[in-house]
Amino acid sequence: MLTALREVQIPLLAVMLLGACAAKAWRQLSSHPVHRDTGPTGLFPVYLRRPATVAMYLAELGLGLGLIATAGRLGHAGPGLPATLVRTGTALFFLIAVGALNELRQRRPDSGCGCFGELSETPIGLRTIARSGLLCASAIATLGVPPLRMPSSSAEAELWLAALAFELALIAFLSPELGEILVRLGYSEPCELRRLPVGRTLSALHGSSQWRRYAGQITTATPVDVWREGCWRFVVYPGVARDRHVDIVFAVYLQARRPAIRAAVLDADTDEILALIETHESAFF
Amino acid sequence: MRHLADIPRWCDDVTDSANPTRFARRSLLKAAVLGRRDEPGHITLSAPAGGAAVAHNSLVYAVTGRILDVSPHILVLHTDRGEQRFPLAAATEAWRGGSIAPASLRQGDRAIVRRSLPGGPVVDRIWAEIGRVTGTILDREGPNGLLVDEGPAKGRRIVMIGPEATGRIQVRFPRLVPGYLIDVIGLKRDGFLQALIPATSQPPYRAGHPPAAPMVNGHVPDPVSGTAVWHEPGEEPENLLGLAYPALDPETSCERGASGAMACSGEKDAVDPHDTGPGCVRLPYLSVGSVLRLRNDCAERTRLLPVTSCGATARLFCDRCVTCGTSRKGRIADLTMASFVELGGALEVGCFNATMMIGG
Repeated sequence: MLTALREVQIPLLAVMLLGACAAKAWRQLSSHPVHRDTGPTGLFPVYLRRPATVAMYLAELGLGLGLIATAGRLGHAGPGLPATLVRTGTALFFLIAVGALNELRQRRPDSGCGCFGELSETPIGLRTIARSGLLCASAIATLGVPPLRMPSSSAEAELWLAALAFELALIAFLSPELGEILVRLGYSEPCELRRLPVGRTLSALHGSSQWRRYAGQITTATPVDVWREGCWRFVVYPGVARDRHVDIVFAVYLQARRPAIRAAVLDADTDEILALIETHESAFF
Repeated sequence: MRHLADIPRWCDDVTDSANPTRFARRSLLKAAVLGRRDEPGHITLSAPAGGAAVAHNSLVYAVTGRILDVSPHILVLHTDRGEQRFPLAAATEAWRGGSIAPASLRQGDRAIVRRSLPGGPVVDRIWAEIGRVTGTILDREGPNGLLVDEGPAKGRRIVMIGPEATGRIQVRFPRLVPGYLIDVIGLKRDGFLQALIPATSQPPYRAGHPPAAPMVNGHVPDPVSGTAVWHEPGEEPENLLGLAYPALDPETSCERGASGAMACSGEKDAVDPHDTGPGCVRLPYLSVGSVLRLRNDCAERTRLLPVTSCGATARLFCDRCVTCGTSRKGRIADLTMASFVELGGALEVGCFNATMMIGG
């Protein structure tokens, strides 16, 4: 059992390191990149935060790839120095993480741990520190593990899987990110909070029957006003109908496909409603 | 097929807009197209030539003006309606850096007064030369001077903390260093604010890292509860009835232009509130001219108020108001000074617990 536990640590640690690195890179490329002050890099002076962030990316990437590359016979060439070096480096990395998180918890109790690209902004707690400690212990356990091999029997494979499941469950219990991931998986942003470019609203409007109905009365190519209230975006065009100057107002519901669209024609001088095209879609507001 | 590049940018900056009537008609046009023109609570804005849009619903409690004369029994103000006289009751309180007798107010002071009854002649509160600075500390000059960035829409202000207020302010704002938030009330001086009262407690995080709001499934709750605060008029009319809303539609608001300039200036502690996420309250995107129904939960007074400007800086503050009980976390409205007084708020307190209903 103990041997099985030691052998599953190498792929597990590699996946954790590469996953953390990928999550950070993904967040950095997203529309709301992680600020350099998050996580342990916030402990550094401002001018050192960027280098510290880059160093952490590189360390995670290098150690993750190194664990995989040295897991087989290649890492055990000679006296097994490459594998020992990478695994010692991994243990050191997580040991430093334990110290840094503990320090951050004392100095900035409101701060998240910055793990997995600040996936969870939950303040650092004992669980987060314990997770780093567990991974450090895992890395220490890999020292001296011979080259990885396929299980020799189904009983051994089951033992490996059981050990892996146990440790994954333990890591999940210690991870504040898990709850956040589950929420995000089932989360659909309400239309009131969704950013939608004006161009898409106009494209939807120009493809609608309401637009075709009034296109002949509209006198300018671009709207004179566009604004948004919650789930509706309003678009106003000036026009002429029966020799009267009118404002043609469209309300476009902010959803990606087949949005509800309403239209009204108002006398530009008296604000009298001359026409109102109503639909019966349910909508907020 | 029209391309995005052909579509002009619709700027929602009231003070800079060449055509404020655009905002004034939005409420009316929305009601028309959604078929809700007959619903109660409809509010319109007027648009004076060359000025920002002003709410038609006039002030009934608050009056702003310059003090022409004051005695123990009467206050004479020069307002936008000309000279107005207000009898003072024995219980009338005045504030000018602290509670003082009304007769101690000075001629020439800018003042805002609150009537005892709607439209009545007697006033019960007077605030003179009161000011407020809310934003991110950019620089510290000596032990008492601070340069504060109030956000892309409002610019920068200088705050001086006098020795008599240092202890009081530092208890609530322990980190008076660049990168942290400040919110102080005090006396307006020539070119700076003399800070006297902390308007809240300093959030423990750096200005650029407000905590995220909990995720919302379905629709955003309506009404929304939280904190309502006030801001100085700046370039707005003093008697403007309205509020700066923290979540203007990013596709049609213009404050990002100014923030770009801020970023170019190379100040590492400057924070663009548009880049920090929604803050700790998830509010629906609205625009200038949208109408909200705001309730002061402490005074139990409600008004319909139009959105008149961008209040993105309010997103940075995940604080609570404790004027009457403890409010929910986060600022939901940054009222004009006149609106705050109109709703029964005490300016020197800085906030009231509020409930906001979107759409009036």
